[in-house]
Amino acid sequence: MTDVPWVVIVWNDPVNLMSYVTYVFQTYFGYSEAKARTLMLEVHEQGRSVVSTGSREQAEKDTMAMHSYGLWATFQTADA
Amino acid sequence: MARAFRKTRRGIAGEFEQGELRLLRRLFADVVQLLEPEKRENEDPLAALVGLDPEATKPEDSAVIRLLPDAVRNDDDGALEFRRLTERSLREEKVSTLRAAALLLEHSQVLLNPDQAQVLARALNDVRLVLADRLEIKTDEDAARLHGISDLEDAEDLESYLALVYNFVTWVQEGLMQALLATVEVQE
Repeated sequence: MTDVPWVVIVWNDPVNLMSYVTYVFQTYFGYSEAKARTLMLEVHEQGRSVVSTGSREQAEKDTMAMHSYGLWATFQTADA
Repeated sequence: MARAFRKTRRGIAGEFEQGELRLLRRLFADVVQLLEPEKRENEDPLAALVGLDPEATKPEDSAVIRLLPDAVRNDDDGALEFRRLTERSLREEKVSTLRAAALLLEHSQVLLNPDQAQVLARALNDVRLVLADRLEIKTDEDAARLHGISDLEDAEDLESYLALVYNFVTWVQEGLMQALLATVEVQE
């Protein structure tokens, strides 16, 4: 077993509102407004953003939560 | 015409006409129909109870795929395995959110606490994802192309009617998000 962490990536789409994505990052992850906005802009401008890092279990849980909010998310190892 | 949601001292308040409420509830019901898990014969009731679906396959409808996307990229087997473990729960969660949202929109004066506002925001978002799929909104330019359609007189065919509905739901959700974000800031 390696210690490579798992990451959750949120992908850009033209439907989710910037306000909604910011709200989801603030509410679900408990990020500050500034951090949530930075991540949201990264998704919007660069097409993707790593929104959380941790164990595989946590990454799976976070990915499912993002889907329940309607955000398009995937999980993978950080070095993939 | 509806009044956009805004933050008030009593909560997040909005105002709608009966026709607008009917439209939104109908849209929620339509998405529920897309998402309700099929009942299979000889299904293991215990598996269903804990949210497993060992026979789940990737949905065929592109709108349903957008609501229940692959959780693993470039790995169809990995994505399918995750789908079998989680998709049923996700479907059920979305269905109950959509149903709860419909109950929040029964009267023209709508007053929401932050939790109820989140329920409504999630439901509106899923409706927009489905409408955007039907309208083939794939890029920001596609979305911008439809912005101008805001009046019933602009709606000449099914596509422009759907665009009108999409823009209305977007407008409702944007107002709701501004009010909700203002509420979150106060709580911090």
